[in-house]
Amino acid sequence: MRVAVVNNCVPFLSGGAEHLADSLVTQLERHGHRAQLFRFPFRWNPLVKISESMLAASMCEIDVADRVIGLKFPAYYVQHDTKVLWLLHQFRQVYDLWGTEQGLEQTEEAEQVRHSIMRADNRCFSECQAIYTNSPVTRDRLAQYNAVDATVLWPPLGDADSLRGGDAGDYVLAHGRINSLKRQELVVEAMRHVRTGVRVVVAGAPETDDDEARLRRIVDEHGLGDRVELRMRFVDEDEKRDLLAGALACAYVPYDEDSYGYVTLEAFQARKPVVTCVDSGGIGLLVDHGVTGLVADPDPRALAAAFDELYRRRDVARAMGAAGLQRVAQLGITWDNVVEVLTR
Amino acid sequence: MRVLVVSSVMPFVDGGGTLIVDWLEEGLREHGHQVDVVRLPFRLTTRGMPARVAGMRLFDVAEHGDRMIAIRYPAHVVRHPQKVVWFIHHHRPLFDLWGTRYQDVLDDAEGRTIREMLRCSDNVTLAEARRLFTNSQVVGDRLRRFNGLESEVLYPPVAHPERFRTNDYGDFIFYPSRVNEHKRQSLAVEALAHTTTPVRLVLAGQFDDEHYPPFLEGLAREAGVIDRLTILRRWISEEEKIALLADCLAVAYLPYDEDSYGFPSLEAHHSRKAVITTTDGGGTLELVGDGVNGFVSKPDPVALAACFDQLWEDRNLAQRMGEAGEQRVRELGIDWSNTITRLLA
Repeated sequence: MRVAVVNNCVPFLSGGAEHLADSLVTQLERHGHRAQLFRFPFRWNPLVKISESMLAASMCEIDVADRVIGLKFPAYYVQHDTKVLWLLHQFRQVYDLWGTEQGLEQTEEAEQVRHSIMRADNRCFSECQAIYTNSPVTRDRLAQYNAVDATVLWPPLGDADSLRGGDAGDYVLAHGRINSLKRQELVVEAMRHVRTGVRVVVAGAPETDDDEARLRRIVDEHGLGDRVELRMRFVDEDEKRDLLAGALACAYVPYDEDSYGYVTLEAFQARKPVVTCVDSGGIGLLVDHGVTGLVADPDPRALAAAFDELYRRRDVARAMGAAGLQRVAQLGITWDNVVEVLTR
Repeated sequence: MRVLVVSSVMPFVDGGGTLIVDWLEEGLREHGHQVDVVRLPFRLTTRGMPARVAGMRLFDVAEHGDRMIAIRYPAHVVRHPQKVVWFIHHHRPLFDLWGTRYQDVLDDAEGRTIREMLRCSDNVTLAEARRLFTNSQVVGDRLRRFNGLESEVLYPPVAHPERFRTNDYGDFIFYPSRVNEHKRQSLAVEALAHTTTPVRLVLAGQFDDEHYPPFLEGLAREAGVIDRLTILRRWISEEEKIALLADCLAVAYLPYDEDSYGFPSLEAHHSRKAVITTTDGGGTLELVGDGVNGFVSKPDPVALAACFDQLWEDRNLAQRMGEAGEQRVRELGIDWSNTITRLLA
């Protein structure tokens, strides 16, 4: 099947959505399809640019494709008969963010733009062959604002094959972007309270200088230097793979995340259990307390107890890591499943 | 420098058309620039094209990049304060092919309106560019004729010319190109029938029409030269092409009224081989001087056969012309370093 994947783009910028789009194309090809990615420039400021971007996308035809997969607004307006959406998110500024600080400023013009987006979205959604979302949150928003009944299609890891298991070392790994919402400080603070020889490695790029300083201060103030290793910089794929392979477990304790997070998938792919918190949001889908990891209160002492438990009971930790990988497969978070569903 | 390249692409069509975009991207990176390439899908059907062109103009990238290089029709309609256009050709059925069998709308009020709309949009959007380049004098002349615009010729190089090598001046003429009527491989086969030396002909390239190779073989069989014709129907790798170029006597490139000299000619010269082309070849004449770095023959089999024979009999001539070809490419400054310097000047 000839599959065109359409995404929006801001030139020279690349993040999670771009990575997912690239992975989808790679995986479609790997599954025997011909796939091409088209990135449509999107500009939203001043307001008229939103309408122009919508119009530009909707005037585009990819009639030679057997299937178009739309990922984002407004790229999904491209004309095609058998279009499916795998919606990463809507233009939230006029939906759930409307009326908040992150939404469009509520002027009369913005109000008009908002209505035109809603109208265009509703029409586009009604013309699609099927609509999938990457998370329950996006699905629920579609139901709430557009009365659309979508199905969740969980995004797998882009490069799952490159990750592997390995002998558990003595450290809990907290990897990924470092910022206040990810709450790495809880993990570092926990090290004041552990009773075993467990260590922590924090690995990832801090978003701001503040994010970095906050963690360093905790380590310095409490003399945790011998138990906490801070690698606060970009960690490349090879380094990440090795860190994961040698970890005892992973800790991922963000506040109220939309989805389960790639960090969790990576941990399970490397067959490591995940320690998370009761208020971490979407991660709960994958992490069952005592089955695929441990779910603690968002409190350093509770986390410390979880780390100690995994350190004392290596065999249990190992079994939970293996169960995590099974859980991922059970939920269909695999490219085999995603490709099958989107080309159905 | 941050360079944004914007190009159009026909979804799911392979071919030479977009190679230049890939090579430009690679060249820019090698020269230390930060590059992003936006490839916008575009359907080339004439009917409805004004609306699709208007749609493309609405994509706004004006805030991104120190330069935007627009390449391939109609990417030049995209706006940018530092727009540079490398114009490869018009939407040809409405302009230089108007009145030929390639014209694909009627010469009626509607057809003429479409033509006029696209002519006006080219006029306006090309005039916005800080620099306007074409890939040949042929295309530059068309810009003057249809749009009243002056442009500079910037000949497109191939990627990594150092890959090409010279091994021998063997017994065969090589014609590496897409195989179709427009490229006139049939003319080369007919010429073979008139040769008086044992010179051979090797054809390689993607076939647009599966009936064409049997047709060519039929021609050769009738003329009794089938044993001197080789058609490589399978896909050949770059490495295999380079090896054939290294061994061949010379290269034939016989398209009818081409926009530019064509990559086969350039690859021939990088392999120090002469190029045989025809007086009606269009852009090939900008590269090939008759008797200097190849032959510019009349487009008839007898005249072409004489060129094949002459090279077969005089390998020194084949070598001298091949070396002159390499020299010619250098004189014209056809290399990525020069190309990028000019695009970003």
